[in-house]
This record gives sequence, structure tokens and C-alpha cells, in this order.
Amino acid sequence: MDISLLNVIKLLLALLAIIVLLVLNSVVMVWLERKAAGFVQRRPGPYVVGPHGLLQTVADSVKLLAKQIVLPGSSDRLLFLSAPVLAMFPMFLIFLVIPYGPWLTGLEVNLGLLLILAFTGLETLAVIAGGWASNNKYSLIGAARCVSQSVAYEIPLILALLALAFMCGSLDLTVITEAQSGWVWRWNIFRQPLAFFIFVITCFGETNRAPFDLPEGESELTGGYHTEYSGMGFALFFMAEYTSMMLVSFLAAVLFFGGSNGPFINGFWWTFLKMGLFMTFMIWVRWTFPRVRFDQLLNINWKWLLPLGLLNLWVTAVVLKLF
Amino acid sequence: MIKAIVDNLRGLWSLLVGLHITGRFGLGPFPVWLGLKEPESGYPQLTTHYPWKTVDDADLVTFRGPLELVPSEEDPRRSKCVSCLMCVRACPSSCLTVVKGGQGKAPAVWLNDFTLCSLCGTCVEVCPAGALRFSHDLYWVAEKREDLVNDLLARLAGAAPEKARL
Repeated sequence: MDISLLNVIKLLLALLAIIVLLVLNSVVMVWLERKAAGFVQRRPGPYVVGPHGLLQTVADSVKLLAKQIVLPGSSDRLLFLSAPVLAMFPMFLIFLVIPYGPWLTGLEVNLGLLLILAFTGLETLAVIAGGWASNNKYSLIGAARCVSQSVAYEIPLILALLALAFMCGSLDLTVITEAQSGWVWRWNIFRQPLAFFIFVITCFGETNRAPFDLPEGESELTGGYHTEYSGMGFALFFMAEYTSMMLVSFLAAVLFFGGSNGPFINGFWWTFLKMGLFMTFMIWVRWTFPRVRFDQLLNINWKWLLPLGLLNLWVTAVVLKLF
Repeated sequence: MIKAIVDNLRGLWSLLVGLHITGRFGLGPFPVWLGLKEPESGYPQLTTHYPWKTVDDADLVTFRGPLELVPSEEDPRRSKCVSCLMCVRACPSSCLTVVKGGQGKAPAVWLNDFTLCSLCGTCVEVCPAGALRFSHDLYWVAEKREDLVNDLLARLAGAAPEKARL
């Protein structure tokens, strides 16, 4: 791309919009998550601050902003403070390349899928850094779990997405979206159901959410990798969780649900609607299923999803070759 | 191999059943508000919305709150306590203070430091006179640490006229 003033302004505007989107997303989703948890457990959920607790997360974020960041005595200062930043930072780049609508993309690159997969791996690095720097056994166990978990789920995830890339002949997310235009049955969820199945399971591991939230594991690890974090450090890790949740929801919308192609009147609102529905589904799953044991998670990923992903890839390749 | 696959498919089905169970109430009161469901089948809330509503006294019978003395049969203002100090000796948290020297065998002072009490119930079990029990006070609030030291004799004397207490 050419570096002209117009492009730079466009990039800066896109980054600004993304920052606003990420913050708004965290504020709204934390409220929605707590409310949904309440409804599932037949409680009212947050209720007092604002109408039906709508301002609860605003109050919470003000509290977290004002809190002191407690540094554990023997921690690695630099790593400890930079880990939460490292968890949030790659997200801005990832959100630049997602095609929200036909004309609404921060930065058009022809290797968007590869870029997203590469930079989501950085979140694992942030968790390791945080867990190591805390100098706390629970944090370290959480970080170690995060590493072996990420190795286990990322391979089936990449295999599933590779089948999509085979079919569309491109790693460009815009091309993948356009390949699904037309009517609803052109969506990849109907053409690649097995890939979607693998994607749904692995995306819970990707976001470190229940039932695969082993790096946190409150009941075993008192919070896992963010045990020692307080104030904004904790808030940034929390935001990173909801941001990666939004990321995989956008990925699901763009890759499997046709992105901005709706049943009628195509536009970016379809992407956002599908993203919201997928995120609601993730919340629903979190409050339904208990956390799996670690060997169960590795069994699911290595013994079932990996062969399934290979099978899917093979069948896709054969079908593409034959027809 | 086939058995494992069947097991996994069954497991996936059970996951869907689980999603259905939580999903029935996952939308909260919205289906009722929108008129999609009958109010009685729609959203039975299992908790009590505390500052606005309180639990009925009849539902508090099973609640085991701070200790209280059982009034004696003859005089509801007096306790059954015989000042044997078994409870003081049995208490693992050392939260009880009983001083002998009342009328007959009755105690002169009976204090329960609720900041230390863990409500283990050992004193209730060990009492030979059956003079101790758990109260049903759910909404007991104190503003100072000293207020949490409960004078059970005064409490018994104060509560007796009502007689409504279970």
C-alpha cells in the first residue's frame, strides 16, 4: 500500500474507532455476562446501579481505575507491568483487518487470516509473561496450562480454517466473505459444517473461557495467571478476555456466517448482529457447562479434533480436485 | 472405536440437553414481558431481592443464625442454663464467656463474641440442659465491632414478652 496522508488518516481513524469499540464491548459484555449468569441461575443479576444495573460496569471500571496496583515483593517488575499491555496490544492490529462490511475495513491485506492466527498467539505470550513475572505458584501453573492448551487447540483450529482457505482459494477475509454472497446456503457453515464444529469447540480454548478456562481455574488456582494482578492490570486482562471473545465472534461471523451478507440488505450491521449472537452463545455456554479436567481437554483436542480436522481437510481437498 | 464414537455423539447430545435446560431461563423475564410465556411458567426467581423484599419468617426456620438461650418453661425471661461451663470448654473458637453467680445455678453473665463464633454448633450439642440453640436472625446488622458481642441474657429478657419468636 502507498503511504499517503489520506491512508495514514484513515488508519488512525480506524484505530480510534477500534479502541472505542473494544472499550464499549467490554463494558456492555461484562454487564450482559453477569445479567445472563443471573438469569440462568434464576437471580436478577446486577440491578441497583442504573436501570437494571446498566451502569454497574461503569462503576466497576471507575473503581478499578482508582485502585492501587500491588506489586508482589519478588516479582519481575518490568514483565509484570508489561504483560497486561501485551495482552491488549495485538488486538488493535487484528481488528484492523477484519472486513466489517463491503467498504468498512481498517486495512485491506491479502493475508488477513494468517495475520489474525499469528497475532492471537501473542495472547498466550502475555499470559506466560504475567504468570512467570508474578512469582506465584498458582500463576505459574496457570501460565503453563495456557501454553499446553494453546498448542492443543490451535492446531485443530488452523486445520479447520485451512479447509476454508482451500475452498475459497485465498487467505483474504474479504474474498472469503464475497465467496459466501448470494443466499443463505452459500454460507460456509452449510458448506463446511465439520470445520464449523471444530471452530466452535476450539474458540472456547482460544478465548480461555469456560468450559476450557483452565489457565484461570478459580477453584483450583485462585485466579490462575492473574492471581497477583489488581487494579488496571487485572482490568486489562479482563478486557483482553472480552476482546478475544469479540474477535472469535467476528471470525465466526466473517468466516462461517457470511459476514456482511445477510438474507436481505447486505451491510456491516449483519456482521455486528452475527457477532453479538455468537457472543451471547459463548456466554450461554459458559454458564451451562462445568470446567473440563486438563487431561480431558487434551484428549478432546489431540484425539478427536485433530483427526477430524485432518479428515475434513482431506475430504475438502478431494472434493475440490474432483469437481 | 465405534463405541467411542457413539459415546461421544451421546455426550454431544447431552451438551445440547444442558444448553436447553439453562436456556429455558437464560432470557430472564423477557419472554414474560413480551407475552410469549405465561407469568407463572415463565420466570420463577429463586432468590429474594433483599433490600426491597425480605424472606418470610416461616422460611427462616431452617436458618441457623447466631446463638441464643432457650427460655425455661416456668419463666420465659429466665434461661435453662445451669452454668456448668461445658459449652465454654467445648468451644473451639473461645467465643463464649459464662460467669456463674446468678440466682441459684443461673449464670450472671452470658456473652457470645460473634466476631469469633464460627457457628459450628458444638456448644449446642454439648449442653446437658438443652439451654442453647441457633436463632433465626437473618438480618442482624452491627455498625461497631463491640456491637457484635452478643449479651444473650439481655437478649432473652428482651425477647420474652413478644413470645412470637420460634
